[in-house]
Amino acid sequence: MSILRICLYCVVSLLLTVGMALASQTPEQLFSETLLPVLERDCQGCHGGTQALSKLDLRTRESLLAGGARGPAIAPGKSESSLLVHAIEGRNKLQMPPGGESKKLSPELIAAFRIWIDAGAPWPSKNVARKWDYKPEDLWAFQPLRPFEKDRHIDDFILEKLQQRRLSASAQADRRTLIRRVTIDLTGLPPKPEEVRAFLADTSATAWEKVVDRLLASPRYGEHWGRHWLDVTRYADTNGYSNDFERPNAWRYRDYVIRSFNADKPYDRFILEQIAGDELFPGDPEALIATGFLRSGPWEHTAMSVEAVTRQLFLDDVTHNTTATFLGLTLGCARCHDHKFDPIPTRDYYRMQAVFASTEFARPKVPFLSSENTSDVAGDATRMVELQRRTEERIRDYRQRAVTQLMKARGISRIEDVPKAELNQAMNTGAGLDPATFEEYKLFQKHSQLYKESLDRFEAKAFAVSSGPVDGSTDGGNVLRYPNRAAYKPAAVHILPGGNIQSPADRVTPGLLSAPATTGKFPAPEVPDSVEGRRTVLAKWIADPGNPLTARVMVNRIWQYHFGRGIAADTSNFGKMGHKPSHPELLDHLAQSFIANGWSVKQLHRTILLSNTYRRGSTQADMKSLSATDPENQLLAYFSPRRVEAETLRDSILAVSGELSLESGGPGVFPQINEDVARQPQHRMGSLAPAYHASPLKRQRNRRTIYTFQQRSLIDPVIDVFNGPGLDLSCERRDASTVPTQAFALFNSAFSHDMALAFAARLATSSRDIDTQINQAFELAYGRAPSKEELDASRQHVQRLTAVHEKTPPPERPSKKPLIHKITSELTGESFQFTQQEDTVPYEENLHPSQVSPAVRALADFTLAILNSNEFVYVY
Amino acid sequence: MRKPSSMIVARPSRRDVLYRGGMGLGAIALSSLLADEARATGSDALTPKPPHHPAKAKHCIFLLMEGGPSHIDTFDPKPKLEQLHMTRFQKERSKFEASMNTGERYYVKSPFTFRRAGKMGIEINSMLPNLAGVVDDICFYRGLKADSVNHPTALYHLNTGNQFGGDPAVGSWVSYGLGTTNQNLPAFIVLPDVAYPQGGAANWSSGYLPAHYQGTPLRPEGAPVLDMTPPPGVSSDRQRANLDFLRQLNGFHQQRHPDHAELAARLESYELAFRMQAEMPDVVDLSKESKETTEMYGIGSRNKDEDALGRRCLLARRLVEHGVRFVQVVAMGWDSHDYIDKAHGARITAMDKPVSALLKDLKRTGLLDETLVVWAGEFGRSPDNGIRRGSTAWGRDHNANAMSVWMAGGGVKAGQIVGATDEIGGSAVEEVHPIRDFHATLLHLMGLDDAKLRFFHAGREKQLSQVGAQVIRALIA
Repeated sequence: MSILRICLYCVVSLLLTVGMALASQTPEQLFSETLLPVLERDCQGCHGGTQALSKLDLRTRESLLAGGARGPAIAPGKSESSLLVHAIEGRNKLQMPPGGESKKLSPELIAAFRIWIDAGAPWPSKNVARKWDYKPEDLWAFQPLRPFEKDRHIDDFILEKLQQRRLSASAQADRRTLIRRVTIDLTGLPPKPEEVRAFLADTSATAWEKVVDRLLASPRYGEHWGRHWLDVTRYADTNGYSNDFERPNAWRYRDYVIRSFNADKPYDRFILEQIAGDELFPGDPEALIATGFLRSGPWEHTAMSVEAVTRQLFLDDVTHNTTATFLGLTLGCARCHDHKFDPIPTRDYYRMQAVFASTEFARPKVPFLSSENTSDVAGDATRMVELQRRTEERIRDYRQRAVTQLMKARGISRIEDVPKAELNQAMNTGAGLDPATFEEYKLFQKHSQLYKESLDRFEAKAFAVSSGPVDGSTDGGNVLRYPNRAAYKPAAVHILPGGNIQSPADRVTPGLLSAPATTGKFPAPEVPDSVEGRRTVLAKWIADPGNPLTARVMVNRIWQYHFGRGIAADTSNFGKMGHKPSHPELLDHLAQSFIANGWSVKQLHRTILLSNTYRRGSTQADMKSLSATDPENQLLAYFSPRRVEAETLRDSILAVSGELSLESGGPGVFPQINEDVARQPQHRMGSLAPAYHASPLKRQRNRRTIYTFQQRSLIDPVIDVFNGPGLDLSCERRDASTVPTQAFALFNSAFSHDMALAFAARLATSSRDIDTQINQAFELAYGRAPSKEELDASRQHVQRLTAVHEKTPPPERPSKKPLIHKITSELTGESFQFTQQEDTVPYEENLHPSQVSPAVRALADFTLAILNSNEFVYVY
Repeated sequence: MRKPSSMIVARPSRRDVLYRGGMGLGAIALSSLLADEARATGSDALTPKPPHHPAKAKHCIFLLMEGGPSHIDTFDPKPKLEQLHMTRFQKERSKFEASMNTGERYYVKSPFTFRRAGKMGIEINSMLPNLAGVVDDICFYRGLKADSVNHPTALYHLNTGNQFGGDPAVGSWVSYGLGTTNQNLPAFIVLPDVAYPQGGAANWSSGYLPAHYQGTPLRPEGAPVLDMTPPPGVSSDRQRANLDFLRQLNGFHQQRHPDHAELAARLESYELAFRMQAEMPDVVDLSKESKETTEMYGIGSRNKDEDALGRRCLLARRLVEHGVRFVQVVAMGWDSHDYIDKAHGARITAMDKPVSALLKDLKRTGLLDETLVVWAGEFGRSPDNGIRRGSTAWGRDHNANAMSVWMAGGGVKAGQIVGATDEIGGSAVEEVHPIRDFHATLLHLMGLDDAKLRFFHAGREKQLSQVGAQVIRALIA
């Protein structure tokens, strides 16, 4: 498919554009619209910017005329004798761009270069606005929303398309299917048996509506839908890159998102807070916490990184992610060259970037809110203090040993006789220790420092931004220093051809995208050049009901999470290369009603969930011909079944096992993860980090996955393998590929086995009758009773395994082994061992097979299969 | 070679089908002409696919030297530094320099001696006697330049083509482009040290490519693949009984959902997982090798690092033999800011036998012709060192402007030095190319055209490698 698009683009559109160009364009237009992009994309990488191979620079008309080692590149008016033409035609053993036939420019482009040179090679200033020549259907997302059609509903739009294709919609799904579908969809957890029973028993006309409203009101709703938002914004608790340092209080942004969804915060307000909360609502703690959005990408600055590069990476990231998140536009391409497919010139990109040029990192004091869970803050802080105290104790031991070694080496027996300077040296730096011991000493020192720094996490501050630096706050680590506010001037932003910071071109002032104004009649206001107020203009422009992109993008995202596919399939790319919407009128209809309902997300859910379209069965009689006509089920003749997401899977396992802790909010918890991964040495600044400690209490470590500490360099392998989101790039839609390592994770992991045992113990506690136990397991996991054959098969399995377990004693609970890491010093190349510190709080163990009867162990074999079964992981 | 079955069984999603087929009549007409259509992402995700052009190499073993090995102390001697040794100078702070590389500095000569080796008399560190014996199979390249002097960004750049983590790794590109011959093993395997390199598993991520193309790390201790074996106390009979019961449960379920194609795929994935569980221990079992072979790799050496790297190198050969497409071997610890004699000395010693044995062994088994071996770190090191806390130990800081990398096997110009650095090794000056060209060259040797290797992601055709690269012809035979 890849080549397909490229070919279509190259062959069809280039033929067309160049063909048209030859006929109707001025040489200036031809250059700006066709040739300059080629020079930028295919030539300036080597000839221009940081390198000018063969001393040839192809960035300006003057430098082309000056030429390189082989002479002038062009002779205006004489294409035949222009070296550039020889090179692109492959004459005289010169072939450019290099890379053989596949890189050779098309004949049409070569012809265009000739026409341009023969016309005198005019080089219009970049300030001349390009004449954008796009087909209206490619710019659909920039067009104003269609007027709202009061009397039409979702089902009307869907049925109309189905009828056009002579397809029929599936019948409504049965109630058991529906309650499982909607409960997992809205809360990320399976329905409880009593909830299923209540819905089945409710004969009123509003039974479904009541279920929907109950679920929308549940705090579990925000925990699930907040996760969708965090996928897009790439929330993490650490910085990424080599040290992956903790981001103190990043969790407050996560909880802010959950609260916002639960409270049904109007989406326009949600936008304003995240982009410019600090400017617009300075006294509102929520709004300050919200700006954590702007810092959500990976970020690191060390003595090894270049400050200008670090800053540029941030600016690129925040520009790209803000537009992708709220406007559904991928701006990455425009960083280096004018966007090939969308009306986004590089100038627009850098003007948008200039909006953020005065955005600096800040960590203002924001007292904890009553809605925030701080119940573990004090306890965790104490634990961290204790870890640090123990580490300091070890450090004192090493220093003492350094002094002893020094005295021994110097033949001094009384400490008073050691020269003061040498004594201080040994006491303060451990000088005199043998190299291996010295390395251990250094590690403890680093750990002490890390523990101390992590105390920061418990302070009531926000991980936020400000326009211009806040005096006395240097939140870029100890390497970056901000000037005082009075002396601060936002850095000038220049267009960076090819994205190269070392060759800045024109300076730009802050501004917004021009396309919505030129095509959608939605004007872009001026952005001030001052320190403050830049983001305010951007935020208001995005949150404006007149912005053609904003509501469409959000409505489409929500639709995607309900149906598995957006009305426009690429939820973060509404440009030309994204898929066109399957039901554009429906998208606009929903966007209009979204705005009219005060940007209420919950109201939008209701509208969708109460439709017949959402309640269709997942199959129909002639699926074969249907999937031939509509393989993607774009037309929604039926409900597409899908695998649950990684978090839903883990949370569901905990829930049916009776182990799920429904505590909400607060600092990230550390779940039980694969032991090998937990014991894996982790890097911190050329050294070893303290070991991973799962949260000692079940109440903590068995909380919902959204509350787990999101460490970019250490993702729970179970989440990772089930296509959890990478934490560095925005994830607009989860992949659902099936790979064998998923079977390993779910069938073999200690977590699965522990939970299967807990599940079995739960069943055994409520009944001693095996059929009742099996029945209950089916009700909990699937929301239904087993069929007779399922009951028989299950009973047989349990009985067979009970016999096996009666003959086989369970393994003993393994004793905790100290965690020893063998490390090679990067300074000296010597190996040494390091014993990691134990956690200070005793670990509350999971139930172990040695604690239960053979019958329960056999029941755990049965429940393990339930947790692995297809019915458990798919939703219909 | 084993008979390919299908390790990966997920069917193409309806979306994939649509993406490929839904672009109108012109698209359909064109699609029949395009071999790349085969590069789908579904059930055939890892089945072998034809290259873009005839390939010189079918497999790649990428020896990643993490930390930034010094070219000046390994393969690119700089006698000029003898004269400049310990000469101090001041390097101005610059907007485009890391603070580590500025301030008061001094030149440092190499503490190592060099010897000539091979037909061309190629100079290499004298502590590499075994590698000296195989230089005629190696193409040394001194013209490469990196972009970043920061470990994680530079590693991401070398491994994924993007300094920002999260993009697919080179091994994923190749697996996506070519599939793999043994469907019971992953196409892209990473053999890390016990600790992961800086930037972690993102160095072998499949990024936006489907999970089939992700690098699978085989761990040097414990089960090679995470959770490949059940917890202690679960016998294989019990495991089988549970698996059979699961199959039964899924069978009942499937009867109620006959149209849901993914169910069969997921069912099959369990069987395949257990085939991998059966095959993997055999593949990683080095006791099947002769004593002569294991000794050649330095396995059993008292030098623990040599033993460990030897194991990984031998395992790499075995994996390639079993049809794995791309193997990345990670050797850590090249970041020698101080005491380079000891720190680099230890790395060089630990590498000599394992790496040279790998080349000899591949050659002996005839695999070298079809296997591209790459040796590279994320950047080179500086001819000078910064004065930190008064220390003037012999060491070197990071240097993105000069480095030594080499290639051997599948289609490279063996026994040559290509490119050159300036007289102190500060910067590459001949046959200078950025990392993206190195990637394009690697892909080219494996039969892939970097510009054609694309994947539809986030609404656009994304080229997997950096755009605008050119193949470094000088490295190719």
